[in-house]
Amino acid sequence: MKKKINWAPAFFVGPHIILFAIFILLPTIYGIYASFTKWNLMNEPVWVGLDNYKTILFNQDSTFHTQFFNGMKNTFIFVGISVPLLIIIPLMIAVALEHKQVKMKNLIQSIIYIPGLISISAAALIWLLIFNKQLGITGNLFGSDVAWPATQPYAWIIIFVITVWGGVGGNMIIYRASISGVSQDLYESAELDGAGPVRRFASITLPSIRFPLIYTFVMTTGGAFNVFGQPLMMTDGGPRQSTHVLMMYIRQLAFGNGESIAGMASAMAVLLGLVILVISALQYYVMNRNAA
Amino acid sequence: MSNPLVNQIDQPLKRNTRGKKKPSDNSVSKYAAYTFLILLCLIWIIPVVFGISTSFRSQTEVVSSGFRLLPKDWTIDNYIATLTNTSTAPILRWLWNSLFIATTHTLLVVVIISLTGYGYSRMKFKGRDTLFFTLLGISFFPGVVNLIPSYKIIDAFGWVNTAWAMIIPGLAGMGNIFLVRQFMNGLPKDLDESARVDGASDFRIYLSIIVPLVKPILIVCALFSFTGSWNDFLWPVIVYTDVEKMPVTAGLLLLQDIYGNYRMIGQLMGSAILAIIPTLLLFLFAQKYFVQSINLNSGIKG
Repeated sequence: MKKKINWAPAFFVGPHIILFAIFILLPTIYGIYASFTKWNLMNEPVWVGLDNYKTILFNQDSTFHTQFFNGMKNTFIFVGISVPLLIIIPLMIAVALEHKQVKMKNLIQSIIYIPGLISISAAALIWLLIFNKQLGITGNLFGSDVAWPATQPYAWIIIFVITVWGGVGGNMIIYRASISGVSQDLYESAELDGAGPVRRFASITLPSIRFPLIYTFVMTTGGAFNVFGQPLMMTDGGPRQSTHVLMMYIRQLAFGNGESIAGMASAMAVLLGLVILVISALQYYVMNRNAA
Repeated sequence: MSNPLVNQIDQPLKRNTRGKKKPSDNSVSKYAAYTFLILLCLIWIIPVVFGISTSFRSQTEVVSSGFRLLPKDWTIDNYIATLTNTSTAPILRWLWNSLFIATTHTLLVVVIISLTGYGYSRMKFKGRDTLFFTLLGISFFPGVVNLIPSYKIIDAFGWVNTAWAMIIPGLAGMGNIFLVRQFMNGLPKDLDESARVDGASDFRIYLSIIVPLVKPILIVCALFSFTGSWNDFLWPVIVYTDVEKMPVTAGLLLLQDIYGNYRMIGQLMGSAILAIIPTLLLFLFAQKYFVQSINLNSGIKG
């Protein structure tokens, strides 16, 4: 007897599978393929094997090589500084908000979350005004005549300021939701045993929220590697390319003025993608092992 | 493969025993917490206030020296100038584009994720979980790799410089589907089993039993989709060259040049503030969902 095929599941998951195939699977495969080609977005890609990778990684005379490593270095600086800030500050806020005697928790939470709703292009306009030496707060209130976006280390500082300002809200909400789920009995019995606030935080709070911590750590790091809007809007990569991150360079190569060099840009994208994958995997591995 | 954050939802509900005053709640830690939070709130809100107040200042007041948090003389000239300057900076047009894109995208997201979530959670078919986790695994591959080919695909569909470029590709993501599936897995099995025995079709069960129960997570996903779409920056600056067609985030990048060097700072701030208002209103309107439904412990029952 032939079994009748049940078409109902296709109605529910089919449309998404088609979308997934067209907009995620196909471009991912094509992106990896394109990294082995010479391609200008217009003509058919021409297979060149590992040439793009060799140029990027080993040809020290090539601007692709110097720009790639400069972009990668700046991306790592951004990740290395912004990720700890985006984990630790939200955690501090969440712990402070869980203090039993603090009132108006939701109001405070909303105020801190609101910058996360503001697009980077609008936020940058506001912060550039604040750091404007003639018109802003830093110049007028603190008498600083530093041209922030054009001078290091200030260029990095304003990028981190806007990143932290807009970025802590999301993680804060996750931590707060997780901490409020920890059983109060644990805290009470720890208090009876004479454990102070630091000890309670280290022995009860942290272990109880380790899964949200791993999750936010990996997601925040992955997001930080894709940084693009903050340096583009705030410093445009300056001064002297010192905040020029890799995503800005990839976009320039593929879509900037002049001849598109999409094959080379794809190779850089694959390399950046591999770095993100390896680091996410390491984070999961190390943190899961430590937590067990 | 599993999501550690969402796994917490499956853990048994632990009740808080709040409200009992503990003798050890010393006021030092209370004031430390308050000082920290209030300081932070001030730092977080001042830029917004300063941006808004500058948009209500006259150009002469802006450039005259001295710092004032609020304007001396309030004026709406900047907004009038911003809204009527349609030749170089059609901000109303950009706002409309963003609104159309974000709303359409969000409505489609809700349809897709509820259908797909139902399929992967409440239906039985061969290879269901294998299929789901394969797609999920692939979607973990960093998106930077498919950026350039995605543009090519959009181009092939003739969608460059159209709203579809921002509405459709984002529907393929797996994150929201994962959340919805997880949420639906938490619903009792006999809920739809008995309806099925009574002869209800899958679509009927989906529409009148499951969707109403998972409404909270759908609303949260909708809010995130709307703000995500409204605030997207990298993709719009790639796919839009036509000034009339772009969303407001990309438009603001142009404004930085048009009103360059902060010569027309009031108008620049007015534009930035206009671009913030919709997501801000949505947040204030739906605050309880933002705050409650994300709460991992209370969101389950709906």
